Amino acid sequence: MDTKWKNRKKIVSFLVFFLGVSLALGGLADILRKKPFGTRLWQLGRILEDDYQQSAGFRGYVSDRLSDFLVMATGGEGLWGIRVYEDGTYYSEYGFDADLLRELGGFEVEEWNSPSVSREELADYLNNLKNMEERFLELLEAMDGLEDYGRQEGFSSDLEMYWNEMSDYVQYLEDILPESLSGKEPKSLTEEQKQSIAGKYHDMIKGDRNLLYAVAYDGKVLYSNSDLLGAAGGSAITAYGDVVLPEGYNFLLYFDGEKVRICKDGREIDVYGDGYYREDSDWHVPGYVNFQAGDAVKKAVVCMAVAEEPVLYEEDSYGNGVTRRYDNSLYWMNDTFRNRRQSLLEGFYCLAAGLILLLLAFLDRKNRRKATEEIARIQGKIWLECKILLFLGLLYGLFIVWLVFVNSGEWHQIWEEMVHTYEYNYDLTAAGWLGRELAGSVPPVFWTALFWGLWLFWNDLRHNEKIWRCSLTAKLYRTFRVKGMERPLSRRMSRRNRTVFLAGLIYAAVMLEQVALVDTVWRGENVRIIVCVLAAVETAVFLGILYLTVRRNMEIARDVETLSSRIAEIRDGDYGEQSSRGAGGEPAQSGADSRMAGRGDGAPCRDLEPVMAQLEDIRHGMARAVDDQMKSERMKVELIANVSHDIKTPLTSIISYVEILRQEEGLPDYVKDYVRILDEKAQRLKNMVTDVFAVSKAASGELPIQMEALDLGKLLRQTLADMEEQIGDSGVTFRTDLPDAPVTILADGQRLYRVFQNLFQNAIQYSLQGSRVYVALQTDGRLAVASVKNTSSRELEKGKNFAERFARGDASRTDGGSGLGLSIAQSFTEACGGRFSWETDADLFVVRVAFDILEHGTDPAEAPGEKSDQDTR
Amino acid sequence: MGERVLVVDDDREIVKAIGILLKKEGIEVLKAYDGLQALDILSREQVRLVLIDVMMPRLDGLSTLLRIREKANIPVIVLSAKSEETDKVLGLSMGADDYVAKPYNPRELAARVKSQLRRFTTLGDIHAGARASEIKNGRLLYNTEERVLYADGEPVRLTATETKIMDLFMRNPGRVFPAEEIYRRVWEEDAFASENTVMVHIRRIREKLELNPKEPEYIKVVWGIGYKMEKQEKNS
Repeated sequence: MDTKWKNRKKIVSFLVFFLGVSLALGGLADILRKKPFGTRLWQLGRILEDDYQQSAGFRGYVSDRLSDFLVMATGGEGLWGIRVYEDGTYYSEYGFDADLLRELGGFEVEEWNSPSVSREELADYLNNLKNMEERFLELLEAMDGLEDYGRQEGFSSDLEMYWNEMSDYVQYLEDILPESLSGKEPKSLTEEQKQSIAGKYHDMIKGDRNLLYAVAYDGKVLYSNSDLLGAAGGSAITAYGDVVLPEGYNFLLYFDGEKVRICKDGREIDVYGDGYYREDSDWHVPGYVNFQAGDAVKKAVVCMAVAEEPVLYEEDSYGNGVTRRYDNSLYWMNDTFRNRRQSLLEGFYCLAAGLILLLLAFLDRKNRRKATEEIARIQGKIWLECKILLFLGLLYGLFIVWLVFVNSGEWHQIWEEMVHTYEYNYDLTAAGWLGRELAGSVPPVFWTALFWGLWLFWNDLRHNEKIWRCSLTAKLYRTFRVKGMERPLSRRMSRRNRTVFLAGLIYAAVMLEQVALVDTVWRGENVRIIVCVLAAVETAVFLGILYLTVRRNMEIARDVETLSSRIAEIRDGDYGEQSSRGAGGEPAQSGADSRMAGRGDGAPCRDLEPVMAQLEDIRHGMARAVDDQMKSERMKVELIANVSHDIKTPLTSIISYVEILRQEEGLPDYVKDYVRILDEKAQRLKNMVTDVFAVSKAASGELPIQMEALDLGKLLRQTLADMEEQIGDSGVTFRTDLPDAPVTILADGQRLYRVFQNLFQNAIQYSLQGSRVYVALQTDGRLAVASVKNTSSRELEKGKNFAERFARGDASRTDGGSGLGLSIAQSFTEACGGRFSWETDADLFVVRVAFDILEHGTDPAEAPGEKSDQDTR
Repeated sequence: MGERVLVVDDDREIVKAIGILLKKEGIEVLKAYDGLQALDILSREQVRLVLIDVMMPRLDGLSTLLRIREKANIPVIVLSAKSEETDKVLGLSMGADDYVAKPYNPRELAARVKSQLRRFTTLGDIHAGARASEIKNGRLLYNTEERVLYADGEPVRLTATETKIMDLFMRNPGRVFPAEEIYRRVWEEDAFASENTVMVHIRRIREKLELNPKEPEYIKVVWGIGYKMEKQEKNS
């Protein structure tokens, strides 16, 4: 209920606003359109003038009549503009045709009487002439700005030819035309004729008793429809002061031969002002300092009286069925004036009502704003194309309305007064005249509708961001783009490039064609302008396509950069979440996010997005795999640590009691043998536990390493010396090939000692009795490779990984080793940064341990003359 | 000797085994099976040395060690199944005099116990004021005038060459000597197969003075560089 009321309030508020604007605008336009010419909007008194006699039209009418009367009084020419030529033909400036003239004065208008040419022939000649003139002008125009000299020559000869032809025609026409028409001066009308015209004129206007007049000349009243200057034919001319206005007449004009005196409503009006006639002077009558009447006029006296309320005068000559209507100009003038005043008043009422409503709307602007927002919301859903079409349709409709309105001729009536004023107002330029006419002739509805159209447009712009987003074109483009996204990237890119190439091709072809068109074929300025405009539009379209593509490619380039930096990160082992390390990486990502949010449809809109997503998946997978591996390794180490601890405790007991047994005196020999075996196995178990622990730690990378620069050759010698006894007890011989010069490497000595200890132990344990073990250290300046070669006592299984944990030469595992020797050697070597490798060749087993040589690490304490190739036997 | 030693371990068999082993060396053994029991016995009995396991119920070895150190300055040897360096350092830094990893060598353990006992009794007075002609390093004492080396207060029988080597090491504890240098300074001639010769002598010296010659504490090999006398942090 509440919302309904709110909605209603919104609607009402907007309606008030709408009505207010419409009424105010309509009223204002109406007033501006209909207000008397020359008045300002704030001159309310003049606009709403009640008295038609105050209008410019009235003044113009009176002035015209005065001059006509003066013509009649003096017997001058020019009444109705009728003139006569010497040969007796008449013409009228005002376009009276011969029939009217004939009716007017019974003058005979002579027929066209030329024996040599018929009318048709003459018309033909004239037609030809006209055509030639047109072509002549065309040629002249074309010659302007023509630079080709050769063609100019051609034109000149053409023109000459035309000129000759035209002269011929003119000559011929001059020959055949009657002399009277070829620029002869008109002759004066005869006195009779003049009097006849004046009499006709008098007949025509005398019935209109809204205007009472009397025209006297030389003390005699010549024409009158009243006794303003005394009775007709009377000799006494009533003076200005003695003129008595009849009942119902309030305007008096009296011309005494020199000056005009006007009295309205009993008060005399100042006609001449400062005595000089100007364009904006009210009265166009003689008597100004600079506008004197001629001498002939000095004897004339004219007196006019105008009715306060003009009425329509008609005369019905019953019998012949013709109703004669007199001039009645004043009646129609008054009628129009009243009508206009009425409609002006209505306009003011509209304006006032509109302003009040606007005030109300202003007071309730909160609701109105809501309403406008609502409207904008609805507008936002309409396609832009529809809006543009609607707007254009509105303009077109208004144009049609205007045409109809103008054609109906209504505006002529309304602007009659303006035309009157214009006659004396040469100041108005054509543009101003046209502008005023246009502004005046356009009905107020037009302005109101235009305003609302613009308002809707503005409202849309104000409340809806990016109005072009909601348009059919944009929608199609988006659909197209989203659909294109489903295709693979390579096809998309090739298609895009193809499009650009094609567009370029078409553009180039069209431009070439247009250049050729402009250059080779002469088509006049208009064609050229059209072609130029077309070229500009085409260029804009082409550049637009280029811009879109380039923008797209830049996007891709940025994405590729991000992608490659991500790949590099992953390669370097950084499996972390999106880092902002890459310069383009982070902003590009956020840009993509915002675009995604802006679009709202969730469709991928970047070319490389799927690839990036896949890369992210790979990264996630790898991160997970690495994590899992680390975790499982850690768990393994923990497990082994726990297990070895749990084994160590009972092992301690075993070793302790074996030792006690060993120390026991008086045991039989076979028992002592048992104890010895127990001791041996317990020791082996102990070694194994330690080894397992060490190798698992090394494999999980948790082995503490203390790297230092050391001499690998010395380390080998030390190890051999350390194991001298063991080697001596074994049945194998060690041959060494170690360089005298120090071979400095970076490693953990303790761990590396374990490596070679294990290798040598292996060699001792698994070598063929009496065979030789070769220990060598070779360097090539950058790499130090220590190798241990021995001949296996057993056949080496081919393809077996001896460095695998618990792998042994003998699968039955009955020898004494823990099976971890090589494994530990490998783990420790790699933990120290070295490379461990082994190979078998028949029964030859070769292990290589390689380290990078440290460039500058010679031990100064190194003594010279150390012997190499030591035999340790 | 009639020394009394307290053995603390939650594993009764181990305690018993240690008891048997030490008894053979003529050492009287008191037994406890957790930290609290050990503290109880220590408060009542006169004990010359404590052997204590780290992982025990109720009160673990290291906490017990801290409690013992609050009252007495008797030698304490820590037994542990953890054999990592960090554990060893932790035990020693908390006041232990020695650290033996399980599974231990029974003979080594006995030797360490005896070494500690001897030092505590016979050397108790000596280390208070070391004379100028004497160099002390852990269990070792070297008299530069007499050119005699003592381990746990007892003279070590060394040959002339061995004495020369030890003279070099004891005078320069912590310094690393390449085999060639040792050879030159001891044999006073150019090195020839120095590594092996030196190593043979070092091995013999180790057997004479190290408690466990396979895991030497004093004369160590710095692999790839040379040999050195390890400087013992604890000189008690």
